[in-house]
Amino acid sequence: MTLSHSSTGSVHGRPSGARRQSRAGLAFVAAYVILLIAFGILPTGYAVYFAFTDAGGTFTGFGNFITTAQDFRFMDAVGHVALYLLFWLVSLVVFVVSLALLLHRLASGTLSRSLRFFFYVPGALAGAASVLVWLFMLDPTVSPVSSLLGLLGFHTFGEVIAPGNLPLLFTVIAFWTGAGGWIVVIYGALNNIPSDVMEAARIDGAGAWQTAWHVQIPMLRKWIVYMVILAFAGGAQLFVEPQLLSLASVGVAGRDYALNQLTYDFAFQMNNVNGAAAVSVELLVVSVSAAAVFVARSGFFDAD
Amino acid sequence: MSPAPRQASGRRRPRRLVPRLLTGSVLLVFLVFFVLPVLWLVLAATKTDQQLVHGSPLSFGSWHAFKHNWDGLTAFQDNAVLQWLGNSTLYAVISLVITLCVAVPAGYGLAMTEFRGRHTLLVSTLVVMLMPTATLVVPLFLEINAAHLIGTMWSIILPYSFYPFGVYLTYIYFTTAVPKDLLAAARMDGCSEFGVFRYIALPLATPVIALVGFFSFVANWTNYFLPYVMLPESDQMPIQVGVGSLLSNVPSFNPAVGPLAIERPQLALATLLAITPVLIVFLFAQRFLVSGMLAGATKE
Amino acid sequence: MTVNKPSPSPKRTLGKKRAALLAGCAATVSLALTACGGGGTGGTTTKDGFAQAPQKDGALTVWVDATRMDAAKLYQQLHPEAKLDIVSYDGDANGSNYLQTKVQLFNRTGKGWPDVVFSSQNNEASWAVDAGFAAPLNKGLVPGSTLGQFSKGANDVCTVNGTVYCLRNDLSQAVLWYNAPLLKRFGYSVPATWEEYQQLGEKVAKEHPGYLVGDAGDSFTPEIYLWASKCGANHITGPKAVSVNTTSEACTKMAKLLDVLIKNKSMSISGVFSTDFGKNQADKVLLMPGPAWYGGAVFRDTLKVPAKQIAAAPIPQWQGDSAPSTGNVGGGTWLLSQHSTHIKAATDFLKWVTTDNAYQGEKAPGFPAYAPAAEAWLKGQAASGYFASDLSALTTASSQVWPEWGSGQFSQEAIWAATVKPGLTQGKSIVSMLPAWQDSIVKYAKSNGYKVSQ
Repeated sequence: MTLSHSSTGSVHGRPSGARRQSRAGLAFVAAYVILLIAFGILPTGYAVYFAFTDAGGTFTGFGNFITTAQDFRFMDAVGHVALYLLFWLVSLVVFVVSLALLLHRLASGTLSRSLRFFFYVPGALAGAASVLVWLFMLDPTVSPVSSLLGLLGFHTFGEVIAPGNLPLLFTVIAFWTGAGGWIVVIYGALNNIPSDVMEAARIDGAGAWQTAWHVQIPMLRKWIVYMVILAFAGGAQLFVEPQLLSLASVGVAGRDYALNQLTYDFAFQMNNVNGAAAVSVELLVVSVSAAAVFVARSGFFDAD
Repeated sequence: MSPAPRQASGRRRPRRLVPRLLTGSVLLVFLVFFVLPVLWLVLAATKTDQQLVHGSPLSFGSWHAFKHNWDGLTAFQDNAVLQWLGNSTLYAVISLVITLCVAVPAGYGLAMTEFRGRHTLLVSTLVVMLMPTATLVVPLFLEINAAHLIGTMWSIILPYSFYPFGVYLTYIYFTTAVPKDLLAAARMDGCSEFGVFRYIALPLATPVIALVGFFSFVANWTNYFLPYVMLPESDQMPIQVGVGSLLSNVPSFNPAVGPLAIERPQLALATLLAITPVLIVFLFAQRFLVSGMLAGATKE
Repeated sequence: MTVNKPSPSPKRTLGKKRAALLAGCAATVSLALTACGGGGTGGTTTKDGFAQAPQKDGALTVWVDATRMDAAKLYQQLHPEAKLDIVSYDGDANGSNYLQTKVQLFNRTGKGWPDVVFSSQNNEASWAVDAGFAAPLNKGLVPGSTLGQFSKGANDVCTVNGTVYCLRNDLSQAVLWYNAPLLKRFGYSVPATWEEYQQLGEKVAKEHPGYLVGDAGDSFTPEIYLWASKCGANHITGPKAVSVNTTSEACTKMAKLLDVLIKNKSMSISGVFSTDFGKNQADKVLLMPGPAWYGGAVFRDTLKVPAKQIAAAPIPQWQGDSAPSTGNVGGGTWLLSQHSTHIKAATDFLKWVTTDNAYQGEKAPGFPAYAPAAEAWLKGQAASGYFASDLSALTTASSQVWPEWGSGQFSQEAIWAATVKPGLTQGKSIVSMLPAWQDSIVKYAKSNGYKVSQ
């Protein structure tokens, strides 16, 4: 990629700043726009088209939405996802922000750096790679934490994966893999808070709590909003964790648990791509609505 | 790195013991939570299948068993595991380069310039990012087919290269960490828009470039479903799909496998191989995730 | 990417750019949309009961799982002139639906199908026929004389409305495995009826607590016990029709038997592949009803039982039953693609891999579905010296699989695992869960488009 940095506006009659910027802005995003259309908008548009048509391509209105909602697993899955979402969002926001703030206060740079690394390590273990890990962690007969599981009253794998425990288990698994990455992001954002701002807070006599609450967290607003939007969408699209547990337990727990698992089932087991698209569109609408609320309330799009 | 050392230690209020203990124990609990399963995995690769079930969970097996696991793993389809690692590296690195060339300028453009369609672009990026992937597979497959790219590595690399998450990271970074005054000053000095980007913004963006690069690499490296569906030949498989196919050869997960079954410690070893590159890249990227070089240069 | 500037009129460039963008976008859309029209198939000829694509030379694409990789390689070795492209995949294990997913995509793009596929599932015909993928095999491709030598009922799972759409690789008929020296030491004899089996279980619980006469913790429990008991939970009566009745006498008496033995702990509910079983119960197996592949996969490889201990007897039958009947747990199938352009080569491969002694008789890990190969296979097992008895019980059982339990598109194993297993863990009895099991089967069947009669 070559960016010609020769003479610009200064030689020719300089275009007004706004117009010059507008042209440059488009050039900056041009390559991205091509990829966005090809691998974002086009497939998404196609999926939406699927959602409103049948296998033959005839327009069916909300037919696919109605038939999929009538599937006997649908309402259960909605309930499961809603409960999981609650656990997941709260734990993610509270723990990630607190851990990032704590790490940021550590006096030793080496210690903070190593901890961030260790917190991140599980992030590399995606999907199939962590099935084995969780099978052994959650099975009291072989688990390194079997005494802890015993204290909680679990003596067999079957008891651990009882239906009532699932939302919590999925939250733990998702947090284990996902939190480290966000801690790195939020920590980086904390680093970008100008030191004079922090200095000012200190001179004003603000303690750690006040600084965090009144200075740092407000300045992290955009990052936190971004995290919440993506975490909400990720949570609503819960898939990997139940799938993983279902593999580990050979189908006892986690199968057909979440809406997104149903979309896979519709699309690839029942040969009903249109039904799958309908559920996907519903999930999209929910995620986008949640995002819209957060965006509107936080001035997320303002180029300030 | 961390701003703490910059504080004049003499003027610091004496920290109370209790909060320090609290901080320490919270960090310790989370350290155990994050690390213990990984530690178990590392040790599992040094055990025999029997030791894994009968031995103490956090004990070291033996180098002999480790060697046996390594031999067993590499014997699976004539060294397939090394080929999977090679494939993954190829896909992840090429996409990473394209992603950086595309996402960083795009994030900058969205954050620091005004143009028609900017808002639409921000919204549509967010919307496609929130779309569940299950139903995108069919359209993507059809598109790649229409472009006659099925069976080539581009069927994986091009979709990977589209990385809206990175665009947003860059966008937020520039809007929050780089003051517009600085760029305006450069423009006044006669810098072109690209000059401003190349000579002012880009050097300031090292942390976010490292961040985007790292996350893009991880996303590409760990992606399972796209290559699983897209690639027609088994010798094109990346490591994630490979680990998946090893998993389906472990009797506990798929009882009906034959005598060539993969033992659980071998799967553990394969998993370790699969995550090592990500961790190396993390350590490398972390060196660049240093505090904003701007801190204090200009105030908003 | 090179960006040149400045251009004389920014506004016009912008317009042009946008127009170009829109045009490009529109072109891509229309390209993508026409793509799903499918490949126009010109010049097909109807032969062997289906429309065949024009035949060409070229490599035969064969999809196999890691275990069947050996078969494909052996074929290549014995037929150096054959051009093979061997692709390894997960064999559709654990309901991955890989084959179905890919066939759906290939059906949309009109190309890419493999010529011959191995699947570790035996319900592929339930969708592969509708998808226009599986080729009919008994309409000319495979001679009736060959088909006739498969074990009785072996290809039932491949048969839709009388047409055979796949060939069975191996059978998984259930027999009664037992530890011969241990049984002798305890002074017991092998039970011939389920009544005797239950009595023995009660005796073991009293006299040798901790020892096991079976396991009911795996997802294939219904296939081992309830199928053998002729429980009509899964009677596939037509291509998209199933009859479900889990509360008949046949079901409840077996469920009661299991409940008694589970309660007195002579029957495990861990599952033979669980770590719990491996750690605490591996050396406690006295008897174990289970499919043919338990011999190698469970006793020899997983539980590491030493040689000369494990033997096989016929599965018990209910007192007063005229004919013995047994269940079946899995067993793979081979499919041939209708779209193949190398049908001759594909058929040759298919026939070889399912019937030839070089693979099925000597190398195959499972009990061959093709009866002559099964004989050779049994000789090989006897020669290996692992088992304490001959395995003739397997041969007898191979033709005694009760035919009224089918292979629908929905997975009975998954339904049992999700519906009954959690209750078992909580201490509920199987009898009390039979209605819930029925309810769940009915729901899954309906949701897969089956007509259900109860």
